[in-house]
Amino acid sequence: MILEVRNLKKRYPTFLLDDVSFDVEEGCIMGFIGRNGAGKTTTIKAILNLIHADGGQVRFDGRDLWANETACKKKIGLVLGEFSYYRRKKLKTIADVTKRFYADWDEELYQSLLTRFALDPEKKVNELSQGMRVKLALALALSHHAKLLILDEPTSGLDPVSRDELLELFRAIIEDGEHSILFSTHIISDLEKCADYITYIKNGSVLCSTDADSFKDAYRLVSGEADRLDRFRDRLIGYRAHAFGFTGLMRAENADAAEGLKVAPADMESIMIYTEKEDGHERAAE
Amino acid sequence: MNALLNKELRLCLHPTVFIYLALVLMLLIPSYPYLVACFFLCNAIFFIFQSSRENGDSLYTAMLPVSKAQAVKARCLLVVILQIIELLLMAGMCAFSLVAMDGANAGGTDHGLSLLAFALILFAIFNLIFLPSFYRTGYKAGAAFLKGAIGVWLWIVLSEGTMIASHAIAQNQSLDLPFFRFVADNIDCFPATGEAWTAQAILFGAALLIYAVGTLVSVRLSVKRFERVDVQ
Repeated sequence: MILEVRNLKKRYPTFLLDDVSFDVEEGCIMGFIGRNGAGKTTTIKAILNLIHADGGQVRFDGRDLWANETACKKKIGLVLGEFSYYRRKKLKTIADVTKRFYADWDEELYQSLLTRFALDPEKKVNELSQGMRVKLALALALSHHAKLLILDEPTSGLDPVSRDELLELFRAIIEDGEHSILFSTHIISDLEKCADYITYIKNGSVLCSTDADSFKDAYRLVSGEADRLDRFRDRLIGYRAHAFGFTGLMRAENADAAEGLKVAPADMESIMIYTEKEDGHERAAE
Repeated sequence: MNALLNKELRLCLHPTVFIYLALVLMLLIPSYPYLVACFFLCNAIFFIFQSSRENGDSLYTAMLPVSKAQAVKARCLLVVILQIIELLLMAGMCAFSLVAMDGANAGGTDHGLSLLAFALILFAIFNLIFLPSFYRTGYKAGAAFLKGAIGVWLWIVLSEGTMIASHAIAQNQSLDLPFFRFVADNIDCFPATGEAWTAQAILFGAALLIYAVGTLVSVRLSVKRFERVDVQ
C-alpha cells in the first residue's frame, strides 16, 4: 500500500473532517470525489501536514508520513489546482529553483512535458491562462519521478482535449505498477475514464471507498411514472420528478426487486448527484 | 538549506531591497540620525515578507520536501544576510567619512564603532519583535511590522537622543553627570584615544552578542510559532 489514511480528523468551527480513512494501492488511480466544500482539499492538506490534523495517522510507503515528512515529500508530487505562485517570475526561474529540492529531478522529462503542454519557459506565470497554469503545476509535479501523485482538481480549467491527453498521461504513469495517483475532482466524467478506485467524501465523512466497478455496481438508475413515486419513495436515494414521472437512484438490491420501474446501470456522475440530493429530495421534486 | 536559500534569493527577494540598501548613502548627510538608514532596511525586510505572502510562498514552500522549521530558518537567514550587508556598507561609509570628513555628527551618533553597535542592537530589536510576531500567523506582515517599527523607533530616539544629550550636558560646566561626559568623550566621538577605542570596542562586542542572542531567540520563537500554523 503506497498510502494509508486512518481516522483523519480536523475540526473547524463550522466544519468537521470526521475519521477519514482510505488506502491507495501501488499502480492505481484513486478518484477522490465530493462536492465543493466536502473536505477533499482539507483531507489532502492534512495528509501532507500542511494543516495539522486533530487526530489520525498517515502512512506513506510503510512509513509514518508526518514523522518522515521531508523524506516522504521527496517521493510525492503535489498539485493543488493551478500554479498561482510567484506570478511575476519566469517559468524557467521557478523550475530552476524547484528542481534543486529533488535529487531525482529529471530535466529531460521536464523539458518534454513543457513541449507536450506547449509551455514557454521564458513566459511569466501571470502571462499564462488558467489551464496553462494547471499544466505548469503538473509538469513540476511529474518531473521528479514521484511514487505518488496527489492531484487536487488537476483538470479544472483545462479544455476537453487537454483533459483527455492528461488522463492518458495518468494511465501511462501508473502502467509500471510502481506509481500511484490520488486524484481529487468534482469533474466525475474524468474519473469514469481513468479511476481504478473511488473514495467518496460527503460533509467531511467518507461515504465509501471501493473499486470503481463495485462503486457503480452498487447503484441503479431507475425511472417510472409519477404514480409509482409514492410506492418507491423510501427506497430512492435521490430523485428528480418531471412531467412524465421521475428518475432517481436506488441501491442495486432494491432496484432489482422494484417492479414496474425501468432500471439502468448508474454512472458515477448520477450516483453523486442523486446522493447529494439524499437529504433534500422532497424539495428537489417540487 | 542551500535550495531554500536559493529560493529565497531568486523568488522572494523584493527588488526594492537594493534601493533601501543604497540608502546607506544617507550616512554622508551632515548632521543626521544615521540609524534611520537601518530602519529603511527593516522596511525592505517587511516588503519581502509582504510580497512573499502575496505570491503564496508559504504554501508553495510547504509543498516542497522541507520542514516548516527549515522554511522559517531560511527566511531568517536571508534577513540576517541583508542586515550584515547593511552593516558592512555602514562600516564602509564610516571609514570613508572618517578619512574624507571628520566623522563628527551633530544630529546623532558619530561615524564609528558605536554607530555600528547601535545598528546591531536596532536589528536585534526588530528581529525579536517582527519575526515571531509574523510567524504567529504566517500572514499578518503589516501588524508585525508596525510592532517592530515601534520598537526600532524607540531605540533610535533613545540612542540618538542620548548621544545628542550627552554632548549638550558635557558642554554645560554646571552639570556634573559622569555618564553623559563619558559618553560624549568615549562613545560618541572619533576614537582618538585608547580609552575611547576600548569603550567602543566593548560596546560593539556587547552589541554583537545582543544581536546574535536576540536573533537566535527570535528564530527559535518563530519556528515554534509557525509549527502551529495551518498553511492555507
